[in-house]
Amino acid sequence: MNIRAQIAMVMNLDKCIGCHTCSVTCKNVWTSRKGVEYVWFNNVETKPGIGYPDEWENQDRWKGGWRLDKDRLTPKMGSKLGIMKNLFASPTMPTIDDYYEPFTFNYSILHKGSKFKTPPTARPHSILTGKVMEKIEKTPNWEDDLGGEFKNRSKETNFKDVPKDIYGEFENSFIMYLPRICEHCLNPTCVAVCPSGAIYKREEDGIVLIDQDRCRGWRQCVSGCPYKKVYFNWETKKSEKCTFCYPRIEAGESTICSESCVGRIRYIGMILYDADKIKEVAATADEKDLYEEHLNMFLDPNDPEVIAEARKQGIPNNVLQAAAAAPIYKMAIDWKVAFPLHPEYRTLPMVWYVPPLSPIQSAVNSGTIGMNGILPDVDDMRISHKYLANLFTAGDEKPIKEALKRMLAMRAYMRSKTVDKVINTEVLEGTGLTPEQTEKMYHLMAIANYDDRFVIPTSHREEAKNVYQHQSSGGYPDGDSNDTEKFKNLLGGI
Amino acid sequence: MDNYINNFFFTYLPHIALAIFFFGLVTRLILINKSVQAESTQFLADKKVKLGSNLFHIGIIFVFFGHLTLFIPEWLYHLVMTTETKRIIALSMGSFFGIMAIVGMLILVSRRFSDPRIKANSSIQDYLIIFLLLVEALIGLTAVAETATGPIEKYAALSEWAQAVVTFQPDAGAIIAGHSIQYKLHIVTGLFIFMIFPYTKLMHILVYPFVYIFRSGYQLVRKRN
Repeated sequence: MNIRAQIAMVMNLDKCIGCHTCSVTCKNVWTSRKGVEYVWFNNVETKPGIGYPDEWENQDRWKGGWRLDKDRLTPKMGSKLGIMKNLFASPTMPTIDDYYEPFTFNYSILHKGSKFKTPPTARPHSILTGKVMEKIEKTPNWEDDLGGEFKNRSKETNFKDVPKDIYGEFENSFIMYLPRICEHCLNPTCVAVCPSGAIYKREEDGIVLIDQDRCRGWRQCVSGCPYKKVYFNWETKKSEKCTFCYPRIEAGESTICSESCVGRIRYIGMILYDADKIKEVAATADEKDLYEEHLNMFLDPNDPEVIAEARKQGIPNNVLQAAAAAPIYKMAIDWKVAFPLHPEYRTLPMVWYVPPLSPIQSAVNSGTIGMNGILPDVDDMRISHKYLANLFTAGDEKPIKEALKRMLAMRAYMRSKTVDKVINTEVLEGTGLTPEQTEKMYHLMAIANYDDRFVIPTSHREEAKNVYQHQSSGGYPDGDSNDTEKFKNLLGGI
Repeated sequence: MDNYINNFFFTYLPHIALAIFFFGLVTRLILINKSVQAESTQFLADKKVKLGSNLFHIGIIFVFFGHLTLFIPEWLYHLVMTTETKRIIALSMGSFFGIMAIVGMLILVSRRFSDPRIKANSSIQDYLIIFLLLVEALIGLTAVAETATGPIEKYAALSEWAQAVVTFQPDAGAIIAGHSIQYKLHIVTGLFIFMIFPYTKLMHILVYPFVYIFRSGYQLVRKRN
C-alpha cells in the first residue's frame, strides 16, 4: 500500500446558481495577462450545451483521455512514438477558434475621438489582430442560460441513449450549471503525453502543475486532457492550467473560486488513497465499474491502521487530521452523493459533483406529483437520470438515482423536523441513512459553514529545502542554487 | 586577393562560425534554458500548418542527416559503396527531401504572409529564419543539379573539404577554390545560419524530447525539493 494525500474538491450542483463569480475571480487572479485572455481556468457551463471549448466532451473528435487496448492503458491520442511523430503539427489540437477569438472594446475613442455626427460606439477589436470585429460569434459562455438553439446545444455527448427530442420542447426543457476547473486527476493524461516531462503531480497534495521552465511548447497536453483544461498561451507559446491556487492551499486557504462562491457550493479537503491501485483501477474493463472502483481506492481516514501506515510512510500529522475532518470522504464515500465527472475518460478525476435535484416532471404533465411511498418519485424528475449518469457515472443510473433519493429524503426529514416539529424517520427508509447521518448531511450540505466546507492543512514548506544550507543567506538567492537543475534540463531530460 | 577571400570564407569562417555556434549554444542552454522551445503558432491558425509543417520538418531532417555523410571518410564508405553510388544516393535523396522541405516552406511562408493573426504576431526573427532557410534550400537544390552534371572529383572534394575543416587543416579552403558559386553561396549561407542558430528559435531542435520514449510508465510525481 502506497498512501498518498490528495487535495480534492466537491461541487454541489444542487446549489449552483450559475452566477460565474468563481470564473471572474479566477480570471482576475490568474489569467488577466496577454496570451491567456481566452483562458478560463474556471468556467461555468450551462447544460445541456456543447460547452467550452466546442464539444470538449466529444472524445471521438478530440481524442482526450485514455483508451483500453487489450487491458493496456494508452492515451487515446496514441503511444509515445505516435506522440513524438505529432510534434511538428498536432492533429487533434483545438485552435483558438474552438474557444473564441479574444476581443476588447476601444472605449478610448469615446473620450479621445473627434466630434461625432452620430452617437459614438465602442466597437469590438480582436486582441489577436487588433482589427475591428464585425460580429462577435462566440464567447466562453455563449450558451448561457440555454442561449441558442436546442439543435446546436444538444450536439453534446451526454444525450447518449436519452430520447433527446422531448427535451427540445419548451415544457420539458431543463437547465443545470456545471462549473469546471482542472480535475487534478490521479491518472492524468496531460502528464502522460507531455514529452518534455514538464507536467507533474505534486506528491504531497496531488496538485497537477506545469513547470514553465521545462515546458517546450510541444502542445500535446492540450490534446491529451479530455476536460480541455490545459490551455496554450499564444504569447509565451507554453501551456498553462489551473493550479488549484496552490499558493493559497499551502497557506491553508481555499482556492479563489471556492472562496468567492456565493452559493457556497464548493468543498475542499484532503483525501487519502492507495497510489498502488491507480493503474489497475484506471484499466477497469467495464467503464461503468470505474466509479465504484475509484471509490475503492480511497482509504478511511479514521481507520487506526490506515493512520498508522500513513504515518509510517511520512504523511504529516496535520494532513491526516485534515483528511479525517474533510468533507470529501463524507460526501463521496459515506453518503455517496458526490460523483466524478466523466469517469469513462479513465483519468480518475478528483473534482467531484453532487448532482442537482430538479422539479418533478409529472406534476407538470398531470397536475399530480407521482409519489414513491412518501417521497416524490425521483424517476419523475425533470432532468433525465440517464443524462446525469452520462455525466457522472459513465451511464450507470443506479448510483445517481440513489443519491438523488437521499437528498430528497434529507429535505423531507428536515422539513418535517423544522416545520412540523416531527422526527419523521419513515422518509429515510430505503435510503440507508440514519437520522444522525441525515442531520450531518444537512449541516454540511445545506448550512455549509465555512469551516466545514474547507478543511485545508497548511503545507510543510520547511521540508521543501534543506534549511541548514540556507543559514545566513537571509532568504536571498545565492546565485548558484539552480545550477544542477539547469544542467539536468539539457535535452529536455527527465 | 581571390585567394585571400577564398581562404577567409572556407578556411577561417567555418571555425569562427562553429566557435560562435558552440559558445552561443552553451550560454543559451545554461543561462536562459527556459526560452528554448518550439514556438508553435498552430494554435492561432492551423489550416496550412498540418501539411506545411510536416513536409518541411520531415524534409529538412533527412536533408540535415544527408549532409552529415560529408564527414564519412572515403576509405570507410568505400567498404560498402563507390563514390559514384554515394553520389547517386545523395542526389536522389537530396533532391527528393529537398523539394519536400521547399514545398513545405512555401506553404508556411504563404501562411506567414497571408494569415492576419500570424502576420500580427510575427517578429523579424520569424521572417528572417524562414527566408534564410528557403534561400539556403533553393541554392542547395541548384547545387544538386550542378553535382549531377559535374565531374565526380568535384563531388568528392566537398567531402574532403568538410573533413579538412573539422580536422583543422590550414589549407582547407583551397580544396573547393575551383567550385562554382552555388556551392560557395550554400556554404556561406549555411555558416551564417550556424552563427545565428543559438540566438534564435532554431534552438528547439536541441530539445526534441527523445527522452520521452524511454520514460518508464506514463506518470510523473515530484517530491518536494
